[in-house]
Amino acid sequence: MMDQEITAQLKKIDWFEELPDKMLFGLATKVRRRKLDKNEVLFNKGEEGDSLFVINAGWVKVVTKDTKGGEVVLNQVGAGEIIGEMALLDNEPRSAGVVALEDTTVLELKRDDFMDILKLQPDLALSVIRNFSSRLRYSTQYIEMITDMTQRVAQGDYSFIGDTQPGQLRRKSLSDQDKIGQLLAEFFAMVQGVKQREDELKKQVMKLTLQIDEAKRRQEFEEITSTDFYANLKQQAKKLRKQRTDRN
Amino acid sequence: MGKIISIHSFRGGTGKSNSTANLAALVALQDKRVGIVDTDIQSPGIHVLFGLDAKNMGKTINDFLHGKCEIGEVAYPVGDKAANSPGRSNLAGKKLWLFPSSIHGREIGQILREGYDVNLLNTGLQTLMKEFELDYLFIDTHPGLNEETLLSIAISDMLIIILRPDNQDFQGTAVTVDIARSLDVPKLLLMVNKAVPGYDYNDMKNQIEGAFNAQLAGIMPLNFELANNASKDLFAISTPNHEWSRELKKVADAILSAD
Ligand SMILES: Nc1ncnc2c1ncn2[C@@H]1O[C@H](COP(=O)(O)OP(=O)(O)OP(=O)(O)O)[C@@H](O)[C@H]1O
Ligand SMILES: [Mg+2]
Repeated sequence: MMDQEITAQLKKIDWFEELPDKMLFGLATKVRRRKLDKNEVLFNKGEEGDSLFVINAGWVKVVTKDTKGGEVVLNQVGAGEIIGEMALLDNEPRSAGVVALEDTTVLELKRDDFMDILKLQPDLALSVIRNFSSRLRYSTQYIEMITDMTQRVAQGDYSFIGDTQPGQLRRKSLSDQDKIGQLLAEFFAMVQGVKQREDELKKQVMKLTLQIDEAKRRQEFEEITSTDFYANLKQQAKKLRKQRTDRN
Repeated sequence: MGKIISIHSFRGGTGKSNSTANLAALVALQDKRVGIVDTDIQSPGIHVLFGLDAKNMGKTINDFLHGKCEIGEVAYPVGDKAANSPGRSNLAGKKLWLFPSSIHGREIGQILREGYDVNLLNTGLQTLMKEFELDYLFIDTHPGLNEETLLSIAISDMLIIILRPDNQDFQGTAVTVDIARSLDVPKLLLMVNKAVPGYDYNDMKNQIEGAFNAQLAGIMPLNFELANNASKDLFAISTPNHEWSRELKKVADAILSAD
């Protein structure tokens, strides 16, 4: 593959988008191309990671395991997208595994090579820092939005649903790396779901189920009416009403 | 000819006293001559709605039943007493008398122990119908079907049964309806109180009227404003636009339009 092609790929990465072509070119010379067969593991969860990958062609899946050990697919990543960029900066183990879904080509940039260039190119370091700080800013904005929505939902105020475009909740270029943006989108979808269910419930007016035990009713009636007091009262009642009617 | 109207419920706390006081007031506001008798001797409650307490309560039904006074002396003229509450102040000059039961534990205890002549109560009620030239005499009763409640049903021209919309009250109401028919009460009205929101009220009305073959005159909602009012004032008069008050007004209209 031509270095120029690789340069074009690297330019798609946020960190590098502001980097001058000359510098990108330097980076490109360090990039190694790797071919993966279908179902081949690029890396496993928990492994120490020391490189970033750009998908050049094909598709991979990002996987983790559920509590029972079954595979859970977190994401599918295709050409032009990046995997594992954090490994260039920290020594943490891989947070998820990656497996090729079909025959795939990836470009690999090793941390050591990246560091070498970083030392020579303070502008690259700046660009990476800028990228991080803008992500942080977005994350903060998203967290504020989620906080605000949570408070409103708690008060039964769903009015913001109508004013919000689900698309504006997620910044395109961050795509799958942007976990908080993803959370916000999921949260918003949840609120829509809750609101819909609440509306459905409001529409369902309940109907009374009126039940009377007729045997019990007769029994209680007989208990009350079988006394002497009652027999006497029944007679008097007739007389009294008649008296009062006659008086008028 | 004046009408005797008993207000009854199967269970306690259903809203008899609140409903009776407000109904009587609504009727008195139509320039009718109205009396209210508290025959809930065991646990009197309606006096509170008219601002009466141990300090300003004079003679009581208990005094009359013990032969200590005439029934007429028990009358508390609501319309003549300066009322400083928003609801009751509307009753100034109206012909409305309350005949309260004693709220002294000793006197309640005495009458429960010794009993009293139910016929004397009856005579007393007939007397005040005449003496006060009442158009309507409302009787607030003790829940359930004890002797004085049976008496009040027997002599009533109209029985109003208040019920909550649940099966325990439907069962109790069914027996009371049978008793009222057995005692030839000329007119029977039902009203629902403490109805929880979320029900189809039209369907409720149809089901209840069908089951008891009687008119359901109003469905009054369970309402926290009323609960907070804690029987301190006549809610239907102070807050006439509330749903509770508007439904009660329908019951008052049914009373006034009954022949
Ligand atoms: N629709 C309602 N919503 C909320 N609270 C109510 C309602 N109706 C009555 N209450 C409250 O319920 C309580 C009982 O009411 P009330 O004293 O009128 O009932 P009652 O049937 O006379 O009771 P008792 O059987 O003890 O004489 C009162 O505290 C009253 O404020
Ligand atoms: Mg009462």
